Amino acid sequence: MSALALLGAFGTLLIAGYGLLTLLARNETQLSLTEQIAFSWLLGTGAVSLLLWIFGLFVHGVLLPSLVSIICLSLGLIGWRRMVPRPLRRMPNPFEIFLGIIVVLEIAIVFYLSFVHTLGWDGLLNWEIKARYAFANGGVIPATYFSDSGRAFSHPEYPLAIPFTELWLYLWLGEADQFCAKTIFPIFYVIGTFLVVAFGRRFTGKTWIGLLMAAFLFFVPQMTVEVGSAIAGYADFPLSIFYLATIGCLFCATEPKNDAFFRLYAACLALLPWVKRDGLILWVVAAACGVYVILRTKKSSRHFLALFPGLLIICGWRFYLAAMHATQSADFLPVNLETFSSHLDRILPLLSALLAEFHNLPTWSLFWFVVAVGVAYLLGQMRNPGTPVLLTALFVPIVLYLLIYVFSSWPNYLQHVGLSISRLLMHVAPVGFLITLLAISRRRVKSPAPVHERGVTCAMTDSERTPVIALA
Amino acid sequence: MTVRFSYGRIAHVLLWCGLAVASLGISIPKIYSGVTQYPLHPTGPLHTCDNYLKFATGASGASQGLISTFQSVSPSKRIIIFTRKDDAFSSGLGMTTAYLASPHLVRLFEISGTHPDNELSKMNPGEVAAVVFCRMNRPAWLPAGKVFGSGLEVVSIREKAR
Repeated sequence: MSALALLGAFGTLLIAGYGLLTLLARNETQLSLTEQIAFSWLLGTGAVSLLLWIFGLFVHGVLLPSLVSIICLSLGLIGWRRMVPRPLRRMPNPFEIFLGIIVVLEIAIVFYLSFVHTLGWDGLLNWEIKARYAFANGGVIPATYFSDSGRAFSHPEYPLAIPFTELWLYLWLGEADQFCAKTIFPIFYVIGTFLVVAFGRRFTGKTWIGLLMAAFLFFVPQMTVEVGSAIAGYADFPLSIFYLATIGCLFCATEPKNDAFFRLYAACLALLPWVKRDGLILWVVAAACGVYVILRTKKSSRHFLALFPGLLIICGWRFYLAAMHATQSADFLPVNLETFSSHLDRILPLLSALLAEFHNLPTWSLFWFVVAVGVAYLLGQMRNPGTPVLLTALFVPIVLYLLIYVFSSWPNYLQHVGLSISRLLMHVAPVGFLITLLAISRRRVKSPAPVHERGVTCAMTDSERTPVIALA
Repeated sequence: MTVRFSYGRIAHVLLWCGLAVASLGISIPKIYSGVTQYPLHPTGPLHTCDNYLKFATGASGASQGLISTFQSVSPSKRIIIFTRKDDAFSSGLGMTTAYLASPHLVRLFEISGTHPDNELSKMNPGEVAAVVFCRMNRPAWLPAGKVFGSGLEVVSIREKAR
């Protein structure tokens, strides 16, 4: 029974996401099955959590999930009528099959790990708590929760994408179940591997590079077994996947007439601040990259509207918290110039802590060293508008995250750094994979990239064309 | 199809193969220990709370017992939770108890030492549904409450002789 309920919850979520995907892609581009599943999941979790929150302002009880389900199915109907075309399939070569088997095995291990471990501390007390309280209150978080100083430790001000995805499962299951709630996190890992494979193929025209990178995702301990990884029930890993989708789509949108990917970029961008409060910083960086791409590739000014949905979510959530008199986090001092200047002496120790984290082999293995080599490769390709986007998306959030600790109110701010820096770095780590796969392929992109035919790939190299595709 | 080799290409391949092998060499032991470290736990709606409470107090299935205790007291009154400063277990127990105490409002007191007599004496018993002691000593003048394993005790105020 539980399995059926979970299937229903995931099914409606994917159906809603697919409907949104068809609306955004508008038959203008071909998306592989893995891309369709990945974007359907990301858009579905975003849409369902937003719908639960918005409709929860007006209704609760049985009516709330019924209403959201009806909208999900309606979106699915739209999707059914406007199917996104898929590119021609080609036979994978033996090396791709081998890598594919490894990726599947890794996914199975991540699912196993996820069920072996319980929810992490933040996973329980920052995220699942909101789902549980909302479930017990007819699908709406009780107003008293936001202003209850005794529960300030659970950060009532954190946004609701992850808790309300868990809530969606609870509403289908008919009970709040911490074990079942964990199922959504390995799915985010699956989506991450799908996106790395898909972007690998689009960026380089070679499927095996994407598969190779997806296989290596598993071997970054911070992604798979460390605190805050894909198995812990924290929002950090899902946020990193949303960021990967945002930046990957923006890279693809640097090609002319690839508006479908720009719309997908806009949708994923909007959801960043809805997944975690830190997503606001990623939103600012990704939005700045979007503005750069619009100006550099001379897209029409209506593309600036891409920033609007995100702004709406940010302002809407702020307004809601103010209306609920939510208790504010005591982790940071007021962000102003005075505080900044009085704590400038922290900069050097913070830099030192950051460098130490890059060298933290048990947590990161050689990941950051590999990314540094990849960055060195890409420095010679700055004329391609996508390259500055990737480098900015990697470095600027790290700098901004580091600056945040200048405002830490913890008596020992370095302890604050030590507890959270690895999770913050994880947000941008998938972008490091995109940089690495470009470096491995040694793809030299001429700007503007002319290779585009119904959006099959960002860059389709002749060497990848099988006889079937060539014939087509 | 001919494959052209150059020193640059060979260096490129060697560099990335070397990095890949070194990465795997460092990662695999860590991942392996992560995969084999823990057995599969029993599943259940409160499996995370149960596991933590068992770890911290030794009591099995304590979550449901705590929920039942909190449900038996007036929901309009607060649950008061005492935890010890500089004791991560006590703090963790306090937060887990606060999590389970919904829909009651809660108030967490983090105090130095293990005797919360001062703080308790200042409270208005009419506003308190229950008092929770997380690795703390219950004052002798307060009647005994329900004990969960070692280090967690819940005193319902209706039990108290007023």
